[in-house]
Amino acid sequence: MSLKTNVTYYPSMPSAFKEKLLSDEFVITSEISPPKGVDVSSAFEEAGLVRDYVDAFNVTDNQRAVMRMSPLAMGHLLKGQGLDVVMQFTCRDRNRLALQSDLLGAYAMGMENVCIMSGDYPTKGDNPGAKPVYDLDSVQLLGAMNRLEEGYDIAGNPLESAPSFTKGAVCNTEPGKPLQLMKLEKKARMGIDFFQTQAVYDIGLFETFMDSISHVEVPVLAGLIPLKSAHMARFMNEKIPGIHVGDELIARMESSTDPAEEGLLICAEQIRELKKVCRGIHLMPIGHYRHITALFEMAGLYEKN
Amino acid sequence: MIISSSKPFEEILENLDDPGKIFVLGCGVCATKLHVGGEPEVEAMCRKLRNAGKEVIGGGVAKAACSIKSKESLLENDPAIEKADTIIVMSCGSGLSVVSSLVDVPMHPATNTDSLGGYSEGHVRKDLCAMCGSCIADFFGGVCPTARCPKGLMNGPCGGAMEGKCEVDPDRDCAWELIYLRLKEIGRLDLLEKIFEPKEYDG
Repeated sequence: MSLKTNVTYYPSMPSAFKEKLLSDEFVITSEISPPKGVDVSSAFEEAGLVRDYVDAFNVTDNQRAVMRMSPLAMGHLLKGQGLDVVMQFTCRDRNRLALQSDLLGAYAMGMENVCIMSGDYPTKGDNPGAKPVYDLDSVQLLGAMNRLEEGYDIAGNPLESAPSFTKGAVCNTEPGKPLQLMKLEKKARMGIDFFQTQAVYDIGLFETFMDSISHVEVPVLAGLIPLKSAHMARFMNEKIPGIHVGDELIARMESSTDPAEEGLLICAEQIRELKKVCRGIHLMPIGHYRHITALFEMAGLYEKN
Repeated sequence: MIISSSKPFEEILENLDDPGKIFVLGCGVCATKLHVGGEPEVEAMCRKLRNAGKEVIGGGVAKAACSIKSKESLLENDPAIEKADTIIVMSCGSGLSVVSSLVDVPMHPATNTDSLGGYSEGHVRKDLCAMCGSCIADFFGGVCPTARCPKGLMNGPCGGAMEGKCEVDPDRDCAWELIYLRLKEIGRLDLLEKIFEPKEYDG
């Protein structure tokens, strides 16, 4: 496998991902986890399986506070494979000096698409004694990115050259939660280009959520995690904030002779519904990559030209 | 009030290989209120150290370990300190620092200093203030997110809370839920709209 990288720095060109967001086509991003090590071949293989369907690969940043290769490095390597990348970027591990310098570096390496999040607390992960940083919160980090785009760092010092990002942020999708809505509105006020949501299972509820944020006018990519078993559904209901798998879906998973296949079918049905409701999907296959091509076909999503 | 908790006795013993004569010094303010460095705790510590074969020459409780006027006033209160080779301090870290600046013998803490908090309505309240030096707690209904949200998020909650409980410790209320309730109580939910700039740490 070639590790030859092809760095593109075209300051005047918006990313293909951003153009797609601005179009009326359905946008598909898919999550890629960097390795816990230095061999990126599995990540390349996973990305290669679905590259013809996916607009951009969303590279996680030490997700669930588990230490892995940096998304900056992994994203750069994926770019070298000719893939578009959305770099996830948490507030957990870097102070404002490091956040800004990594953002400049990411842009210079052609990764202008960045998705901001607070980041799971270190005690949730595999280096629980790590010092939590959170020097900036996600709203403040989006503000810092605006400053960089204006040609200044967060302290007001001029830059020699300025980046131009496609900025995203994450949100939960439970309607009727005033604090979640307040945070979402603050992120939108910072001028972001897209929202990426927590995994959605109840399309009706998601539609209610979409109605409740219609004033926000930011493209929304609905998060999707294909179910593998009824046990997984119950586990997520109990442990993962913002996820609710309804009884009906759990019953379907339980009565199926092939739960993994049933999970893909459910996911495909959801994608068909979501096409009418939001601008795109953000797929989190969690070790399910081999079946994702089949999922896309079931959902009526076709290879890009 | 400074919130401290007792160290495990085994950890204290580990640092006492060859301590010589030991004096145990408590503190009459926070550590007394929290029962980690008042008279009963100092007496118990002396007893446990003796049972562990250590030579304890005395124990006492300073009126306020962090505010001892001078070496003279410390010795006036507890003259045995002058003969001690090691002092066990049962106060917060500030108290230990002040005592160590006045007396020229090694000292060891018997407590861990956890946070700036309080004691009210029968409950110890931890993490009430982060001592950031630029108080804006009024914008949050008196519930400071810098101190009470483990991530110190100033612009709203993270996505990690479940049923109003904190991602980091499910026994603890999400600070932002408390902020919301307080602001609602005082009729200032409008404050939720305000975007807060990053804290500056150079002041």
